[in-house]
Amino acid sequence: MAQDVYTVIGKRLPRLESEEKVSGTARYLPDLQIPGTLYGKILRSPYPHARVLRVDTSRAERLPGVRAAVTGNDTKGIRLCTFSRFDNKPPLAEERVRFIGDEVAAVAADSESIAEEALDLIEVDYEELPPVFDPLEAMKPGAVGIHEEGNVAYHRSWMYGDIESALKESDYIFEDQFRTQAQAHCALETHGCIAYFDQTGTLTVWITTQWIHPTRRILSETLGLPYSKVRVITANIGGSFGRSGGIEPIEIIATFLSKKTRRPVRIIHSHDEQFTSGRSRYPVLIDIKTGVKKDGTLLARKVRMVTDNGAYNNFGIAVTLGIGSKCTYLWGVPNVAFDADVVYTNKVYGGAFRGFGNGQITFAIESQMETIARKLGMDMKDLCLKNVNYPGQRTCMGHKITSCGLKECIEQATAAAGWEAKRGKGRNRGIGMASVMHIGAGIRNLYGDCNLSEAFIKMNNDGTIDLASGAMDTGQGSNTVLAQVAAEELGIPMRDINMITGDTSTTPQCLGAWGSREAFIAGNAVKLAAREVRLRLLEEAGKIIKSDPEDLILKDRQIYRKTNLQESVLSIAHVANACYNAGRPLFGRGIYDDPSGLGIDPKTGHGGPVTYSFGTQVAEVEVDPRTGKVKVLNFVAAHDLGKAINPMMAEGQIEGGVIQGLGYALFEDLVMEEGLVLNPNLQDYRIPYVNDIPKIVSILVESQDPEGPYGAKGLGEPPIIPTAAAIANAIYDAVGVRIKTLPITPEKILKALKEKEEESKKK
Amino acid sequence: MGKTREGIMKHELKLKVNGQDYTLLIEPNRTLLEVIREDLGLLGTKLGCGGGECGACTVILNSEAVKSCIMLALDARNQEIWTIEGLGQTGELHPLQRAFVEYGAIQCGYCTSGMIMASKALLDENPQPSEQEIKDALAGNLCRCTGYLKILEAISSVANKMERK
Repeated sequence: MAQDVYTVIGKRLPRLESEEKVSGTARYLPDLQIPGTLYGKILRSPYPHARVLRVDTSRAERLPGVRAAVTGNDTKGIRLCTFSRFDNKPPLAEERVRFIGDEVAAVAADSESIAEEALDLIEVDYEELPPVFDPLEAMKPGAVGIHEEGNVAYHRSWMYGDIESALKESDYIFEDQFRTQAQAHCALETHGCIAYFDQTGTLTVWITTQWIHPTRRILSETLGLPYSKVRVITANIGGSFGRSGGIEPIEIIATFLSKKTRRPVRIIHSHDEQFTSGRSRYPVLIDIKTGVKKDGTLLARKVRMVTDNGAYNNFGIAVTLGIGSKCTYLWGVPNVAFDADVVYTNKVYGGAFRGFGNGQITFAIESQMETIARKLGMDMKDLCLKNVNYPGQRTCMGHKITSCGLKECIEQATAAAGWEAKRGKGRNRGIGMASVMHIGAGIRNLYGDCNLSEAFIKMNNDGTIDLASGAMDTGQGSNTVLAQVAAEELGIPMRDINMITGDTSTTPQCLGAWGSREAFIAGNAVKLAAREVRLRLLEEAGKIIKSDPEDLILKDRQIYRKTNLQESVLSIAHVANACYNAGRPLFGRGIYDDPSGLGIDPKTGHGGPVTYSFGTQVAEVEVDPRTGKVKVLNFVAAHDLGKAINPMMAEGQIEGGVIQGLGYALFEDLVMEEGLVLNPNLQDYRIPYVNDIPKIVSILVESQDPEGPYGAKGLGEPPIIPTAAAIANAIYDAVGVRIKTLPITPEKILKALKEKEEESKKK
Repeated sequence: MGKTREGIMKHELKLKVNGQDYTLLIEPNRTLLEVIREDLGLLGTKLGCGGGECGACTVILNSEAVKSCIMLALDARNQEIWTIEGLGQTGELHPLQRAFVEYGAIQCGYCTSGMIMASKALLDENPQPSEQEIKDALAGNLCRCTGYLKILEAISSVANKMERK
C-alpha cells in the first residue's frame, strides 16, 4: 500500500464548523428568526383506529390570534412521498385515523400558547374501529382491515441458487427465530420546519433534512409547483441518523397554513411528538434457516420475515427489500431464499434509521453464526474466516465485491480484544464477535435512476475557494471531508475553503446523506471539480512562466516545479488573479454518478452497489447472574472504510455507532400498549449515557477502494450494525444463554438462566 | 408591572448574565431557558427535551450547572448566570472549547454548549477530577452522536493541564 503521500487527506483535523459549535454561534432551525412567523400546532388522533366523521375548526379559528386552520379537506389526495408507488400517508387524516398520533387538523397562531389553546377548540367526531396491533394477527384472514387493499402492504419472495438442494446437501441445518424492537433516533434536536409560501408563489422551506434536493423534488411534485419555485434550506442539524430522510406531515401542513396566511409558519416537533409520531426503526420478526457442511462451509440461507410497518407505508418496503439483499451479503452464502411480508398495524409507522434494516438481519445472522460455530466445535473466528468475503467475490445475486478488508477486520479486532485468551473463561464474563457487510456508497435506483452528486468550485482572486455541494452535513462531518478533498487537490489549507451547502438555490444536485454514500459519491464529485480547477491553474501558470504544466505542482498556496520543491515559482493567488483579470476566472464542475450499472434487476442481480464497507466488532461483557444486568466492559471495532480521509472523525463515527448499537442491544425500546407509546420521553426511553460506555478501541482498516476518492468508502452506518449481535454472543459466552429478542433486558436473561437451570436439573 | 395579552401579570427580574446586568419584565411561568434565548437573544443554549433529561440547556448558575429548561426564570432573580456565549469573550477560546475542537468531541453540536458548561462547572470546582468524577458531572448530559469517548478525552486533557488549586 502506498505510504502517506498526502498533505490533508488522512489527517486528524477538527471539523470545519468546530469553533461555531463550541462558542454557541452555530445556528439550528429553532434559532432561526424569520419576521412575521406564525406558530403551528397539530391536533392528533387519540384513537388507534377510528373513522373521522366530522372535523370542525370554526371555534378555533375565532380565537383571537389564530390566523388559519387546516384539515384533511385542504390536503386531500396528497400522500407523503418516499418515491414509491405504495406511498399512502395523508398529511392530515381523510375519513380515517390509523394510529394514536395520526394528524387530524392544525392551526397557525401568533404564539405557541395560542395555537395550543386553539387545538382544544377543534371539534372532532370519531367512530372507533377495532384496532390490530400485532402483525401476525393482522395477517390472519378476517382481521380488521387497516387499508382497503388489506393488511399486507407488500409481499416479496425470491431465491438465488437452489435452496432446497443446498439444504439437502448440508450436514447440519439450524433454524432460529429472532425478533427486534422499535428504536427511536433520539436526535437531540427534534424534526422541524418553517414554510413560507410568499406572495409571488415561491415556497421556501427551512427544514431539518438530510437530503435537500430530493426534498425539493418531493415538495414540488407533491404540490404541483415548478422546482424553480421551491427552495429548501437547512441550518445546522442536531443529529439525524436516518430520521430526516424524506418529509414528515409537518412540511405539508406548514405549507398549507402558510398558503392561507401568506406568512411563514413554523412547526417543530416536541420530543413527545418525535417519539409518538416520528418514524422509528422497523421491528421485524425473522426466521432464519441455515445449512452448513461439517467443515463449516455455509451452503444455504433461507429467511422468512415479517416487518411491522405500522399504520402507513414509509420506508418499510424499501427496508425490507434492503434486508432481502443483505441476506446475500455476509459470508457469501451461495444459495439464498427470501420471503417477506410487510404488514400494517395500528401503530406509529416506521422509517429510515442508520443501517436501513441491516442491524436487524445482522443480529439474526451473527447470533446464529455463533450457535453454528459451537455446534460444529469451531471457534466463531475460524468459522467466519472460513466463509469470509473477499475482493473479486460475486454474491449469489451476482454483485461484485471490489475492495474488501473483512479478513483483516476479523484478525485485527480479535487480536486487539485478546480473543483467544478471554474466550470461554466463565465466571460470568464473556467475549463475543459479530461482523457487518454494508453498502459503502449508497445504491442506484433508490431515489432516481442514478446515484449522483455534483460540485462547483469557484476560485477567488486571492486563491481561496467557494465550494458548493448538494451533500448534507447532519453532524457526521461530510463538509469537512469534502473540504479536505478540495484542499488536497488544490494545495490550499482548509481555512481557505468556504463551504456552500444546505440550500437548493445555491448548490448543485446531490441525493444527500443516506446509505453511507457522501464520502464516496460527493467526495468523488468534489475531487473532479477540484481537478478541473487544478488543471486550469497549472495550465495558466505554465503560460506565465513558460513551463510545461506537467512539470508543476500545487502546495501550500504556491506553485512549485517538481524539480525544485524548495522555491516556489508563483503563488496560486497570483495565477487566480491573472485569470480573473483576463476575464476567465477559475471554475470547476464535477459530476459523479456511481458506475455500477443502470439499476438493479432483482432476478439477474445486474447492477448492485458500487462498493461495500465491512467491519468486525468484539464485545466483552460481565453479566450479574443474580440481577441479569449486563455491563459492557471493553469493545473493539475494526472497520474497513477504504481509506480514512479524517481518522479522528472516522473514530467518532465508530464510537457513536457502537454506543447507539449498545442501546439497541440492551435497553432501547419504544414500548407500546394498545398502540399507545408508553415511554415518549428521554426519562423513560433510555439512551446510553456517559456511565454506560465501555472503553472502545477503534481500528481503521484501509482496503483502498479502487473507485473511491483516495480509496475511501462509507462508514456512517456500519458501526451500529453488528453491535447487538456481538453483545448477545458475549452474553452467551459469559452465562450460556441465547437471547433472540432485542433488547436483551435483565428480565430476559434471568428467565433464560432459570430455564437453563431447570433444564439441567431434569438431566 | 404589566400584563401580557393573555392577561398574566408580569414581574420584574434582575439578573446578571455573562457579566452583564439585565432588568426584564417577564411572566412568572417562563423558564430561564426561554428568557435566555428569547429575551436576551443568547441562542447558544439549546432546547433539547424540555424536561430536564438531556442537558442541552445547561447553564451555570452561581457556579453550579443547572438545566435552564426546568427552572423558572424568576427563581434566578438576582443571581449570576453564565452561558456558552460568556466563555472566550476575549476572542480566545476557553481551554475547554479548544479541547472539544482538537479532540473531535463534537459532531452535530446540539449537546456541545451544555456539555461544555457542565464540564466547566466541574473544573471550576474541582480542577483535577478523576475519570469517574467527570462522568458523574456529565451524567445529566446526553449525546446521541459521539458515544462520549472524545468528550471525556477532551475534558481530561484540560483537567490534566490545570494546576492544582
